[in-house]
Amino acid sequence: MAELLQYTITGLSVGMVYALIGLGFVLIWKSSSVANLALGPIVLMSSWFNYAMFIEKGLPLYVAFLLVLIFAVVLGWVIERVALRPLIAQPILSLIAVTLGIGYFLEGLVTFIWPASTAGFGDKHIFPREVIHIGPAIVSQEYVWVIGICLLVFFLLTFFFRYHRMGIAMRATADDQMAVQACGIPVTRVFSTSWMFACVVAAIGGILISSIGGISHGLVDTGLKSFSVVILGGLDSFGGAMIAGPIIGLLENLGGGYLTPYLWGGVKDIIPFFIIIIVMVIKPYGLFGEERIERI
Amino acid sequence: MTLPCGTRNYNYSEDMATVRTGTQWTMLIVFLALLFTAPFFLNNYWLSVTNIIGITLIAAIGLNILVGYCGQLSIGHAGFIAVGAYTSAILTNRLEMPFLAGLIGAGVISGLVGIIFGLPSIRVKGFYLAITTIAAQFIIIWVINHWGLTGGFAGITVPYASLFGFEFRSQSSQFYLIIGIAVICVFLAKNFTRTKVGRAFVAVRDNDLAAEVMGVNLLFYKLLAFFIGCFFAGIAGSLYAHYTGSLNAEQFSFTESILYVGMIIIGGLGTNLGPILGVVFIRVLQRLLSGELVPFLEKTFTMFPAGFASGLSPMLFGLVIVLFLILEPRGLAHRWNLFKAAYRLWPFSY
Repeated sequence: MAELLQYTITGLSVGMVYALIGLGFVLIWKSSSVANLALGPIVLMSSWFNYAMFIEKGLPLYVAFLLVLIFAVVLGWVIERVALRPLIAQPILSLIAVTLGIGYFLEGLVTFIWPASTAGFGDKHIFPREVIHIGPAIVSQEYVWVIGICLLVFFLLTFFFRYHRMGIAMRATADDQMAVQACGIPVTRVFSTSWMFACVVAAIGGILISSIGGISHGLVDTGLKSFSVVILGGLDSFGGAMIAGPIIGLLENLGGGYLTPYLWGGVKDIIPFFIIIIVMVIKPYGLFGEERIERI
Repeated sequence: MTLPCGTRNYNYSEDMATVRTGTQWTMLIVFLALLFTAPFFLNNYWLSVTNIIGITLIAAIGLNILVGYCGQLSIGHAGFIAVGAYTSAILTNRLEMPFLAGLIGAGVISGLVGIIFGLPSIRVKGFYLAITTIAAQFIIIWVINHWGLTGGFAGITVPYASLFGFEFRSQSSQFYLIIGIAVICVFLAKNFTRTKVGRAFVAVRDNDLAAEVMGVNLLFYKLLAFFIGCFFAGIAGSLYAHYTGSLNAEQFSFTESILYVGMIIIGGLGTNLGPILGVVFIRVLQRLLSGELVPFLEKTFTMFPAGFASGLSPMLFGLVIVLFLILEPRGLAHRWNLFKAAYRLWPFSY
């Protein structure tokens, strides 16, 4: 029982992070129909940046966090402006390939700047590490913090989309790009804002997940795993990502916990990819995704 | 196909000819003669580069048929190559079958695995399919790493290729094997894309619904594209296994898959020349970087932490892919055609 509860809490918190990163994907997909396959390297890069500011430079946490956010905004803007703006209205294949190229570039850049492949936060951790007791389970406090922060970011984003002018413009662009352009809303600015937001949530996700497990190249895989979230939830559904994230996290941790004795090791890391295949075969547009009806 | 000035087709056989004029025949023969005498004037270092180029080319041709002709984006090609490589390794090492059985078996098994992961292509396309193939890549590598038969993390050794009692041990003998098969593959691919199936692929790529309305069986042709694309990957994997002699799942990473997509984009999607140009470009650049530039930089800039320059090649390749997509999405093949046209029409290029 204690084991089950422990898996549930870790699964929920990791799943929340996946959902957060997946949200960044959905943002870009909805506003500009670009599939951002560079999420993993963006997560990796911003976690390293956070590490550099927080540990190497020794800045206080809130300053480091603010700098990471600024860095993510700049990164998102640069990517959109330099690589994706010239490719507006190109076939989906080019758009996917260009984000792959960006991802590859960023991975190289990370190795170039921080050749050490792993780093831990050591004593100077972000969240308090005292264990807390939830029923019979003993969990590190970090997980609860991660869940809380993710929920906070979800609510902030929801409010932004509901009430802020830019948020409303972004929702409108997702609905009908042509109509929005005709109404005088600057679509290109909406695109770059969506990239900035995506990078910011990816950066927050990276900080959260690296605060638990340290920084390693596996963060790229974390970004890739979050694709299972958007696939399960539906590519164009914010709510879907928020619901699918914890589901994936739970399945991953419960499956990893209970299936490893029966299957090969490392099954935990591969579960999200199996989920992708299963969803593709059964319900390709996900739980809440809009099914596209094509015309010739 | 554009013809040189003053050349006209008077019958169908001329129209269908792959190599049309005497000059083209001469150039082809000279090129092939140069290619097959390469072991006499290349040293082992450059022979190994050519061998890797040949292997990569076979896989890239497969990917080009799948992505460039049939429009089914696959970002898990290295995974399918791994299937081929390990199939060949298991067949020849564990079951002690001859090399030829390993080669064919690798292609077939790889193609069948491709069909399994290509099944979602009936219902989805574009990004969904890309994600499926990424998942395929990771699942394949996981299975390889944990299955007893494949040797797991420790890897597996592969005997040298041998045909009719002759063992391909040295770089130059391997060169003939690899380049021979690569040339056959290029020829097959060139002709394949002009057949009924090839045209059906193009129809599926341009608009699959329209193709279906015109009577192209989507299920059959999409899965056939996956089979053929992965068949080539399997052949390449088998050759790679017998070339390197030992396998490890690290050699078939996700970044390698990205690189394959990059190669066919740089070369030019949906052209026969594209994969050749792209593969030569990327592999030579890679060798120059890892062989010359990285050691030089590591030695020169000692104030940076060790290993910083190993990030250089991913950076450069990522940059090259992005720049090609922005500046020349039709790839090097298109540039080459422009050059040919300019050469033919010079100096009156109106």
